[in-house]
Amino acid sequence: MIALLRPDSWDLPLFAHVLGAVVLFGGVGAVFLLTVAGIRMPGQSIFTGKLAFRTLMFVVWPSYIVMRVGAQWIYSKEDLQPDMPTWIKLGILVGDGGAVVLLGLTVLGWLALARRPSFARYFGGLAGLYLVGLLLAWWAMSAKPGV
Amino acid sequence: MGKYEWLLFLHMTGAFLFLGAAVASLIFTFASQRYERPSEIALILRLASYVIPAFAIGGLLLLVFGIWLVSVGGYDYTDGWVIAALVLFILSNVAGAVGGKRAEPARELAERLAPENDEPTLELTARLRDPVALTLDYGAALLGFVVLVLMIWKPGAGG
Repeated sequence: MIALLRPDSWDLPLFAHVLGAVVLFGGVGAVFLLTVAGIRMPGQSIFTGKLAFRTLMFVVWPSYIVMRVGAQWIYSKEDLQPDMPTWIKLGILVGDGGAVVLLGLTVLGWLALARRPSFARYFGGLAGLYLVGLLLAWWAMSAKPGV
Repeated sequence: MGKYEWLLFLHMTGAFLFLGAAVASLIFTFASQRYERPSEIALILRLASYVIPAFAIGGLLLLVFGIWLVSVGGYDYTDGWVIAALVLFILSNVAGAVGGKRAEPARELAERLAPENDEPTLELTARLRDPVALTLDYGAALLGFVVLVLMIWKPGAGG
């Protein structure tokens, strides 16, 4: 009966958090695929770079905000202070660290488009690393290590 | 970590792959409507086909570990939300598969036009805007997200 322990009032914040997270994952995945395609087909790199940057601005950033607001909302209901479990620490690390990663992606994406096309490699690499970070986060959120 | 947590992690992995693929697919479908050059459209639609393995693997994990979780989590296979989720999940897969098949001629046409003169044609535009294919594509994703709603609220499960 483990799953029945969650109060109903947690459902909406949990939905916002998970919805934001899956859209974020799909958006970063699309950014990664577009960037790799641009690197492999240099003739299309401007087109794929623009589309990847638009996806970053119009899908990835908004979904990150929904995911992070949902996380904070549900955290405020869980009353986990002061003994914060490991899975929450990992989630906060990837969640808050995600803002830094997205800022990095925004700067690299802009530089790759406006000044240095070679930066597309770093842009794609960082997007790929962030996908791994998101995998770590959903492992922590679901498997709850340390509980 | 207990059995329930591991099953939930594998189920969630399936959900992230399946719904993440749906989001990426929607981005590519939406983008294909916004561009005109066949070479660009062909590239976008080729990328859309690369997410199909994520649908397949994610869908399999979602289904297998989701069904397992029903018993481990203390639910019943006859619960309304479990049956509704399974039906909607199957419908989502069918709609996505049929929509994908209907979009295939558009990709083939774009790939044929790209090396010729790379100019947009009315036929390509019409195929990209096929209302049945678009309804199936967007509908499949919507159904996937309705399943997510059921998974979180579990209407009728109590608690």
